[in-house]
Amino acid sequence: MKTRMVLPLVLLLLAAGANAQDARHGTLKNVTGVVTVGSGDTLRTAVPGGGVTQADRILTGPGASAALALKDGTLLMVGPDAMLELTTVQFDSTTQEGNLVVNLLKGSVRMVTGWLAKMHPEQVRVTTPTSVVDVRGTDFIVEVP
Amino acid sequence: MRLPEIGFGLVLVGCLTACAPASRVILLPQTSGQPSAVEVTAASGAQRLSLPYQTAEVSKQGQIELKITAPERVRERYGAAFTSAPVADEQFILYFEPGGASLTGQSQTLLPTILDKARQRSGGEIIVIGHTDRVGAVEANDALSLQRARVIRELLVSQGFKPELVDAVGRGERAPLVATDDEVAEPLNRRAEIVVR
Repeated sequence: MKTRMVLPLVLLLLAAGANAQDARHGTLKNVTGVVTVGSGDTLRTAVPGGGVTQADRILTGPGASAALALKDGTLLMVGPDAMLELTTVQFDSTTQEGNLVVNLLKGSVRMVTGWLAKMHPEQVRVTTPTSVVDVRGTDFIVEVP
Repeated sequence: MRLPEIGFGLVLVGCLTACAPASRVILLPQTSGQPSAVEVTAASGAQRLSLPYQTAEVSKQGQIELKITAPERVRERYGAAFTSAPVADEQFILYFEPGGASLTGQSQTLLPTILDKARQRSGGEIIVIGHTDRVGAVEANDALSLQRARVIRELLVSQGFKPELVDAVGRGERAPLVATDDEVAEPLNRRAEIVVR
């Protein structure tokens, strides 16, 4: 532990100022066509690099699609004419524990699971109005035609 | 030849409105080739999908019907699920000079490559994951690993990378590269993993 005491002071100063990372839970990657994101009445146009957070809905127009990555590396590919809600997105990046629920109301989504499901698959699920999909693997499609 | 085809088409259209499932789940093969599965639960009970392209169709009444589909049909129906998928994460490992948070010379030369790779991606992100060896308490190592990650994050941001697209994460001594007993100094574990996503 002795050698650790000589950590430069710079480190401590940086640590104090580095909390400016925003509260996003995921990032939009590929966006094609008209895609909006938001919760309640506050919808914004989805753009690559834009953030998404818990409770956001991703709405894709006809022929549109959106791919996003959550903090744990879970990928969500949302197909055309879809509505997907990020119901619960909790991930502790230090312990890699958390809880992920996405609710597909319309259209289709492909999920490729990330770090959370690797250790805690029981903490990841996709819901639809008629079914619940529990994750035991990594890659699948859910559709609400 | 034509008439029967038209007839078949009409039957299909009729069925699409009357007997389309309320939800459908398709298991895809895992890229690593390892076995995969999902469990589908509806009003009538639960069914497990464990074969690639196995499909569960759930009716409005909650009945689950298991089927199997073909890769081409999945690609055709869910094209965007594949074409829009980001390419796999890329990983790099950076090492620190002993006892501090400055990178080794060799590791520093990797930073421009990392920035290039991230900029080539649509919505590209960099996740900096700090790790420590097992010298010191778990909590202290959590803090130290996060500090190390933040130093690298600042370096990347100072090179003009968007701050909101660089994440600093500390995993402490939880994920060593080389397994050791507690309180053992191990330079290979004092590292930062970089994930370009």
